Amino acid sequence: MMHLRVASVFLCAMLAIVVACERLPGAPKASIPVVVGSPSWTLATFNTNCRGCHSQGAEGAALPLVNPGYWKIANDDQITKVIALGQGVSMPGYLDENGGPFSADEIDALVKGMRSMWGGEPHDGNPVLPGTISPTLVVGDAVAGALVFESACANCHGANGPAGSVTDPMYLRLISDQGLWSAVVYGRSELGSPPWNSPMPNHPNGLTPTEVADVVSWLATKRTQ
Amino acid sequence: MILARILALAKIPIEWIELRTGAIAFSKPMLFHHVPRSAKWWYVFGSATLMFFTIQIVTGVCLGTMYAPSAAQAWESLRYIDEDVPFGWMLRALHGWSSTAMVVMMVIHMLQVFLHGSFKFPRELNWITGVFLLLTVLALAFTGQVMRWDQDAYWGLGIGAAIVDRVPIFGDQMRGLLLGGPIIGGETLNRFFALHVFILPGAAIALVGVHMTLIIKNGISEMPKPGAVVVPSTYRKEFEERMEKTGVPFFPDAVQRDMVFCGTCLIILIILAASFGPFGPGGMPDPTLIDTNPRPDYPFMWIFGAVSLLPPASETAIMLITPAIGVLILIAVPFLSNSGERAPSRRPGMVLVAVFVVMAIVALTYEGVTSPWSPVMDAWSSLATPAQFIKGRTPLQVQGAVVFQSVQCRNCHELGGFGGKRGPALDEISTRLSPDQLVRQIQQGGGNMPAFGKNLNSAQMSALVAFLGTLRPENEPDSKIPGANLPLPTSMSPPDRGVLTR
Ligand code: HEC
Ligand code: HEC
Ligand code: HEC
Repeated sequence: MMHLRVASVFLCAMLAIVVACERLPGAPKASIPVVVGSPSWTLATFNTNCRGCHSQGAEGAALPLVNPGYWKIANDDQITKVIALGQGVSMPGYLDENGGPFSADEIDALVKGMRSMWGGEPHDGNPVLPGTISPTLVVGDAVAGALVFESACANCHGANGPAGSVTDPMYLRLISDQGLWSAVVYGRSELGSPPWNSPMPNHPNGLTPTEVADVVSWLATKRTQ
Repeated sequence: MILARILALAKIPIEWIELRTGAIAFSKPMLFHHVPRSAKWWYVFGSATLMFFTIQIVTGVCLGTMYAPSAAQAWESLRYIDEDVPFGWMLRALHGWSSTAMVVMMVIHMLQVFLHGSFKFPRELNWITGVFLLLTVLALAFTGQVMRWDQDAYWGLGIGAAIVDRVPIFGDQMRGLLLGGPIIGGETLNRFFALHVFILPGAAIALVGVHMTLIIKNGISEMPKPGAVVVPSTYRKEFEERMEKTGVPFFPDAVQRDMVFCGTCLIILIILAASFGPFGPGGMPDPTLIDTNPRPDYPFMWIFGAVSLLPPASETAIMLITPAIGVLILIAVPFLSNSGERAPSRRPGMVLVAVFVVMAIVALTYEGVTSPWSPVMDAWSSLATPAQFIKGRTPLQVQGAVVFQSVQCRNCHELGGFGGKRGPALDEISTRLSPDQLVRQIQQGGGNMPAFGKNLNSAQMSALVAFLGTLRPENEPDSKIPGANLPLPTSMSPPDRGVLTR
């Protein structure tokens, strides 16, 4: 008799747990489904995976991407490729086939999302870009580039220049040609590094696309020396 | 009347099977073998451990039907089990809590056996198979934590990899074997899945079988009495005689207590699972959880605590040698003394040892729970280098900051108050270490920091050291490293140098 009573109390308790299952204190709270491509997804993905290197303003060690000036010039196909496959020494590839966390669709969605968030606005702070420049690396004339460097860049980057050397082979081994090109074209005005079309010594209207290509080609030759 | 008929009918297939297998004849001695009358409540812990193990197998098999062991889908499949499968979360909660309970119960069981000297002749092998069971169960708990594939899993893997990395000569190969590659990746999860659901449970079931066989062969030891010494040459004969005279059958006498205790444990387990829910999965796709504190599960918390307290220099020795010595000592216990007194009152030294071990584990677990010392898994890609450490730096130094992020120093080191807390914050590191010392620290690691030597090329190393050389307090403008302390370019505008953009 006693046993039966204990057993029925136990059974009732089990039944109560079963009925109350979803309301028990330990039941996990439902997670909010994330829609790939939504602004919140884009921001969250960017903040977790990219912001550590590409931030905004003076923050972050690599080229800022929260930067309308970047999106004015950069080309989506090229950005997609860089994100998928990586670039240079330090930019990892994010495509799942390369061991990264994202599918090709997710990378497309990320690029579209970033463009709609940061690409639409006018270029704040800096002068509006007068000329246009193709975002892809063009091979230039290294000999002409040496002259461009001497006139436009050496004040800041020459021996004892305040901005430090950009011809140090150690530095050049860490950055790709495309990375050099982006550094010259976009600059980082918050750090005192001028964009390509802003006034530079002996170039009051900035550089021409040819001069950019030339100076980048010249820098690239310094890498192997 | 009808009941008797039914019973008589049921007998037919039972006898049919018995005739062909001998199952009843086989299990009868197990059920009705005599156990000491004095075997009271002290003896229930082993049965409770076995019960938790059974729960692990049942819930584990159920979870195995729904879990996706791939790096891309593991987290999502846990969310699916938690939120979409009816009672799925309860299943995970039971599996998680029962795993911890099993380890705890096992340790209590071992303590009881140790204190009562039950490992002495002829039960040395009972103890030794028990030690191997403990190791297997700890391995199951460890690999189980990896199944969650979240930040806590990363902690365990990181420490595990660091330990095998330190093995002389074969370190790299062993790390590759453990992780399925040089780094923690998708292969790692597959490898641990195979261990967790095939290899280790298989080993555990086999060991449980051997352990049970030995228990039945050697009988259950009596309560220790001061003065009742174990003499190997006569013990077995006397023991069997005493059992014959004063013993009680295991079923139903002793089994009653086991059942009451196991039932109580089961109820407590269900209450724990219902009120605290499943373990994790913690911080994976949630970007707002940047500074989550990865922690190992409770069975390993004391290791976490111990590692955080270690003096850096002695570390390799401690990480590699201590566990090995600990296991050897455990195995050696019955050989160190397998005869003589069993009563705790006549073995005060052994009681002190047990008390010390328990206190050490409790204290280290407390340290592990409270220590803020932990890496942040995605700091490298989510926490930007603060502007004050970028402004006024040369291109090489800025590239050093990129390297600092890309080789994941930030996961363990804070800059500007954000980042991992495993190593010290490096905001002012140039005042503490010279460039040579920096190179040595990065190449050779040490003190819980992995050695980066082979993984960084000379350009990355010089950039990194150039960057670290600029990290100094703001009120101390003079860096010890020449050239690191350039004036801000924005403050430079002699007229002949053109106009700066800002
Ligand atoms: C007004 C001074 C100034 C002039 C003129 C200037 N720069 Fe710079 N540049 C800087 C500063 C300051 C930085 C530092 C920011 C940094 O390291 O990212 C910099 C950075 C760079 C970098 C490194 C970017 C990176 O992230 O690695 C490159 C490459 C570079 N400049 C190339 C050039 C070239 C080529 C020219 C000439 C066309 C030029 N700069 C002209 C000030 C200048
Ligand atoms: C560990 C630091 C790091 C992280 C994290 C990182 N990047 Fe990069 N990224 C770099 C570096 C460094 C470069 C330049 C490499 C070079 O050219 O040498 C770069 C280059 C790029 C470029 C090309 C810029 C140009 O036009 O020249 C794009 C686009 C880019 N990254 C996008 C991303 C996105 C999107 C993410 C996040 C999914 C991301 N990066 C994460 C370091 C990082
Ligand atoms: C797995 C975590 C981890 C990673 C990743 C890591 N460190 Fe460390 N680091 C530590 C720990 C822990 C210490 C403290 C060592 C000790 O106690 O001696 C430390 C110490 C240091 C120190 C000495 C600090 C001092 O005050 O003496 C430097 C410098 C350092 N790390 C630089 C780096 C750099 C650069 C990287 C990236 C290449 C890096 N660390 C990556 C964990 C890490």
